[in-house]
Amino acid sequence: MEEGDRLHLGSATLRSRLIHGTGKFPSAELLAQAIAASEAEMITLAVRRLHLDGDRRSELEGLDLSRYHLLPNTAGARSAEEAIRLAHLARAAGLSDFIKVEVVGHEATLLPDPLATFEATSRLVAEGYTVLPYTSDDVALALRLAEAGAAAVMPGAAPIGSTLGVLNPHNIRLIIQECPVPVIVDAGLGSPSDALRVMEWGAAGVLVNTGIARAKDPVGMARAFAAAVEVGRLAHRAGLAGESGEARHGYGASSPTAGLPVG
Amino acid sequence: MTVGDLEVEAALGPEQLRTRLRASRLYVVTDDLTPLEKLPDLVQAAVAGGADLVQLRRKREPWAELVELARSLQEICRRGGGIFLVNDHVDLALAAQADGVHLGQGDVAVQEARERLGDRPLIGLSTHTPDQALKAQLLPLDYIAAGPVRATPTKPDSVEVGFQQVTAAALVSRVPVVAIGGLDEGASAIEAGADLVAVVRAVCAAPDPRLAASKLRQEAAAATPWRWIRLNGEPRKSPPGETVLELLARLGVEPAGVAVEVDGRIVPRERLAAELVSEGSALEVVHFVGGG
Repeated sequence: MEEGDRLHLGSATLRSRLIHGTGKFPSAELLAQAIAASEAEMITLAVRRLHLDGDRRSELEGLDLSRYHLLPNTAGARSAEEAIRLAHLARAAGLSDFIKVEVVGHEATLLPDPLATFEATSRLVAEGYTVLPYTSDDVALALRLAEAGAAAVMPGAAPIGSTLGVLNPHNIRLIIQECPVPVIVDAGLGSPSDALRVMEWGAAGVLVNTGIARAKDPVGMARAFAAAVEVGRLAHRAGLAGESGEARHGYGASSPTAGLPVG
Repeated sequence: MTVGDLEVEAALGPEQLRTRLRASRLYVVTDDLTPLEKLPDLVQAAVAGGADLVQLRRKREPWAELVELARSLQEICRRGGGIFLVNDHVDLALAAQADGVHLGQGDVAVQEARERLGDRPLIGLSTHTPDQALKAQLLPLDYIAAGPVRATPTKPDSVEVGFQQVTAAALVSRVPVVAIGGLDEGASAIEAGADLVAVVRAVCAAPDPRLAASKLRQEAAAATPWRWIRLNGEPRKSPPGETVLELLARLGVEPAGVAVEVDGRIVPRERLAAELVSEGSALEVVHFVGGG
């Protein structure tokens, strides 16, 4: 990691550009170990009813939440109103103004509802939240969310939990190029190479949950994603040769064409 | 509807029956001493005096006589706006098309009774310990009884458990709690957390059962009941004057890790001690779980 390369999101300054999900891990121990291995500084959480009878143990019990920047989500919301209510509860539970707006508009694929996402984002920005909306790979919508005051936009690479990788590279790249706020690629990143690729393109960060949680060795995979994110970031900062003016078009040998000892 | 020259109230549907149960205060259970042929008059008087529920509790009579009696008591209750239940016998409840059945811990399992009775009839269950009251919450029943509050000749072998058992049941119950056992006035049980006061001798052995029922009903109705609230989507009870902080404490919930919403409004942590739980409130207690 280069010194001084930091991601600024609202009041948070992050050295690690991997935002770590906390769902679907095989155990509380593996979750805690995976986050530690990834060196992530921001983690996502969901808000749910407390079980008032019986077992109240949580998969988060191995984590000291005070050590992380918390990014609660509004997962489960089906409307802007539900997302806003979950945001209020999240703020009251965690005393942080960060919120990942997530409003599902299509049950089968969990793809986001663009209108409700936009509305919830606008209203929560007005209430003073640092809003990171999970959105589709629609370029115009990403720009509108940035205009509405989103601290970052989080286009999905593929449907949530699918681990299908980047389904529409063209749109993801366009969003990264055009968006005036940080772009954090969220959802569907299945392998470290997916994360590396979007980081090379200039994504400000990635959010990974299932790709780590459902790996055979989640702790090892957390480490692999962290390394990939770092390599992708280094590559982006160094400037890919294929994106420089000189090398963008045509073909060229890497070795000198003059001075060959032949003829 | 009209049957002959009588105005007869139609049988209540499942929801109406439960709505009526929630508004009920006095539950009269028949005794062993009153001759069978006197029971219709006794039940008529009890219902006229204010009994909301009546339970036929007879164990030894011939089946045919019990069925005939149960049918006639059901009809008397229906006309008088009361709810009629039989003790122990699912078969009797079915034969008499009774509004419900009351089961003891040793009787047929609640689940089995529900399967045989269908959705409409009420099912009540006797509980004698806090653990029984808690386990009952997982069963498809409509109320639990807590007792015996005092030693009673109706159940000579049982140990009195006092109002503490009524309160313990009220603290965990999602369904109305009936206090039973040696009660002769209506207020104490309600104040201890019961929704209904059940009596046997206080009405059945009274010189004027109608007057006795009326007095008990008034005492029960005048007492300050516990509040019914919805807590994380489930009905629960809360004693008068309880604050949200006290409610969380008795549920063993550490306020630091949760957010509390009352009727759609977030209650900040520092305000939990000043926020009183009120009748009909919807409380949500949420915390963080794993998510992406």
